[in-house]
Amino acid sequence: MARRTKIHVGLEIGSSKTCIVVGEVKPDSAVKILGIGVTKSAGVRKGEIWDFPQARACLKDALTKAEDSSDVEIGSVYLSVTGSHMLGVNNRGNIRLQDNQPNILPEHLEEACNIARDVHYPHDHVCLHSIIRKYLVDDQEQAASPIGLFAKTVAADFHIVHGIGNRIQNSIKLVRECPLEVDDIVFAPIATAQMALDREQRLRGALLIDIGGGTTDYALYLEGAIAASGSIPVGGDHVTNDIHLVTGLPFSKAEKLKILEGNASADPSLSVGIAKLTDESGYADVEVKRAILNEVIRQRLEETLKLVRDRLPKGAVASLGAGVFLTGGTSLMNGFSELAFDVFGRDIYRPEPSENTNSDHPSFKDPRYATAIGLIRYAQILETENTKPPGCIGRLFGLFWPFGS
Amino acid sequence: MISYQRDLRETIPASAVKIIGLGGAGTNMLERIALDSIAGAELLALNTDIRRLGSCLAKEKIQLGVTLMRGLGTGGDPELGLQAILEAENAVRSALKDQRIVFICAGLGGGTGSGAAPIVARIAREQGAFVVVFATMPFFFEGRRRREQAETSLNQLTVLSNALITFDNNRMGELVLAKQGIHEAFGAADRMISESIKAVIRLVISPGLINVGLDELMAALRTTRSRCLFGSGIAEGKDRAAKALRNALSSPLLEQGSLLKHAQTVLVHLSGGESLTLYEIELLMRSLQKYVPETAHILFGAAIDPAMGDNLSITLISALPEDTLMSDTRRSISQGLEHTPIIEKRSALPMIENPFIEFERKTEPTIAEKSQQPEPALLNTTMVSESAETVSEDPLEEFLESPPHGKTVSIPEPRSNLSHNIEPEICDHLPEANPVENVPALPGKEDRPYAEFFMTETIPEPEMPTGFPHSTSVVKAQPVSPLPDKPIKGKYQPLHKSAIEANDAFVDEVTPPTSPTEKAPTTQLKLDPKFPSPQNELSFDNAPKGRFEGETPNVFDGEDLDLPPFLRKKKN
Repeated sequence: MARRTKIHVGLEIGSSKTCIVVGEVKPDSAVKILGIGVTKSAGVRKGEIWDFPQARACLKDALTKAEDSSDVEIGSVYLSVTGSHMLGVNNRGNIRLQDNQPNILPEHLEEACNIARDVHYPHDHVCLHSIIRKYLVDDQEQAASPIGLFAKTVAADFHIVHGIGNRIQNSIKLVRECPLEVDDIVFAPIATAQMALDREQRLRGALLIDIGGGTTDYALYLEGAIAASGSIPVGGDHVTNDIHLVTGLPFSKAEKLKILEGNASADPSLSVGIAKLTDESGYADVEVKRAILNEVIRQRLEETLKLVRDRLPKGAVASLGAGVFLTGGTSLMNGFSELAFDVFGRDIYRPEPSENTNSDHPSFKDPRYATAIGLIRYAQILETENTKPPGCIGRLFGLFWPFGS
Repeated sequence: MISYQRDLRETIPASAVKIIGLGGAGTNMLERIALDSIAGAELLALNTDIRRLGSCLAKEKIQLGVTLMRGLGTGGDPELGLQAILEAENAVRSALKDQRIVFICAGLGGGTGSGAAPIVARIAREQGAFVVVFATMPFFFEGRRRREQAETSLNQLTVLSNALITFDNNRMGELVLAKQGIHEAFGAADRMISESIKAVIRLVISPGLINVGLDELMAALRTTRSRCLFGSGIAEGKDRAAKALRNALSSPLLEQGSLLKHAQTVLVHLSGGESLTLYEIELLMRSLQKYVPETAHILFGAAIDPAMGDNLSITLISALPEDTLMSDTRRSISQGLEHTPIIEKRSALPMIENPFIEFERKTEPTIAEKSQQPEPALLNTTMVSESAETVSEDPLEEFLESPPHGKTVSIPEPRSNLSHNIEPEICDHLPEANPVENVPALPGKEDRPYAEFFMTETIPEPEMPTGFPHSTSVVKAQPVSPLPDKPIKGKYQPLHKSAIEANDAFVDEVTPPTSPTEKAPTTQLKLDPKFPSPQNELSFDNAPKGRFEGETPNVFDGEDLDLPPFLRKKKN
């Protein structure tokens, strides 16, 4: 099937930065990044919009930058959303077949899927994603569609992400006011995972942790399918805030200290002496005991990672074959992988901070753009699904194997 | 919360509850119950077989037919069983003296079980006890003769007992895998029965938050020649509500909930630790609604048992007429799945805004519920299922508008279109057969638990809105610096130094909130909520949060995430 080149735009409104990535999907489904527009965010806290006018101004700025750098007029975007109200749950829909009709028909499967999708969440929540994980035929896992097989019971396992409707609506409203159209909304860690994890890693079991400025989002993949996702309202801002609260330093200094001097590993040799920052005139401006600085940082990040760990299903950490993948700005913190290893005890992968910071040569590898680039991937997957003759099951299955086609 | 002494008549002392194991099967069940150590009941074993009786764990034992049988079994002859119990009648009578509730466990079909159970039931009734019979029906392979014996005995028991809960052994077979030994199969069946006896005892004896008692149990089991549908599930963890329900429905007596499709009355009893939340109950009841027909009368009860810890247990009890169970089982499953409420995508509308109302409606005594019924029942036949949902809302609203529920309840409206549900025959047999009056203090029980329920729920709520705005204003008035009273020496040092030094002093000032304080905002259904003491709250509000000042508290597992863990952990 001949496909045309298609341009997708991913937008992430994060707590620390607003980021727009323009990507071109070639006919051979390779993705080329055309341009990136990044602005420091204001008015966004813990992944949720806090000050509407400020956030809008930031978005407009990012949009202009992205249009400039990519030379594309942006009309519609894929939007990632996050926030502590977002929650991923697993649900199973089970139906029992009639005795005289033991083979599975499409309508049976659809019924099981409908039951599985019908999760009970608080009435102000809306469902954002419902992703098929696997089918079970007589309690045996079945990777492909079980239509036509003989069975007593058939079940569909779904992962459903839901969140508070109004807050999601507000993000959409912000984008619409720009004015931009929203093609689709995606829960941030799911978008990031499209970018950060490949198919093999998902099959072996991988945990993606995206520690941004305001939130820590995670997505767990086991046996190729998503098994858990969620968001914890703690991020790099909290680290800065902790340093501010404990030492009494202003935010700007605390932030600088965190980046330049802070270390999250528990290595005692790094906690000796005093960390100093010098100002322009060369005077020692700020002095803090390293022991305290590192302890504050470590305790915060350790707690955050443990919160993530405790929210995963039982035994999930042990079955992480591929390991833990860290992304997001805070993952660049010194000593963070040592800390993550202490908490999870699995292989830790951390993206290298990319050397070229200018947006002319944007790189897939840059963790700061992982979510926005992941959105383009996501868009690409949706695109390929929609061009196929859909059919409910095929569509679902496509979601299940994002890189299958 | 103001605690009050429960009326003594409301609770039934353990010494007034007796569980009788009758015959071989009954003794087995009794042993299982003894192993599970049910609190609040005494055990009594009755058997003709002296060897079996000797090894039984029950505290009291009575040998039946000492002269007639000479310590041997009846060999499956009910006539001998009957003679044997008549011989020991006086002993049994004295053992059952002053008992309020008597549970009789018997395996029907054999000699002692079938022959003696009706007599024991009669004796117990004569002693003024409320009699609940748990009977197992024989396996098909045991032959027609035994089945007939069981049927005869069951017919007598229907008349003699107040409540009859029947378990069909054929259904029990599904409890275990085909490969497993018969020993395990019977063990599983006994366990099942023991579970249900325990559930019934818990239900009847321990007063709950939303109480259900014997009258509700009676209503749930009210059909002649019925088979009991029983499911009990326990779970802990995050989605314990869903898991517990799933476990309960996986009981073979319920066939994955499909048998509940035909139930007219379902008793649902929830029991959980102090962490039981209203939301969980709501969730659970909503999922349950998928399995229960809309017209069914749901008797809802909830109890808080601190011993449950993190667990949540759900018990479903209902009954179906025997004939529907036998012939319609297969059909019902398939039908049920075809046009069910299960797959109906629920719109936002039908969800009841106020869960309290929901509960109130559900626990309302039978007659009130029935007087509500005709409307939806009639409309149901003419309307499609969607509109039926909206219609069923109406009675609720009407119901709420009529203020004194308590009064309207007691008027038994004679209704001609008392749809299909209750055969007149049972209606007039029940009042005389069920001396509900004998069981103390059932009427009026409803009101007080409500009061309790409302009290615990509503009190924390006004506290929240006042708490937070107040706190922000206080905090803003303070200097941003987290070190309000720095040691004086700090003045002569550079700021950062003092910051380091003053660290410890600072730590003492910031009292991290204790978990009860923080959990207060989440709606929790606690029997005795610990109200935050003013001191605690003050220190909680005073802790500076820097950038996140004035935001809604970011509470997670009892810790305010906006406060530095460095300070929180040090304090602990």
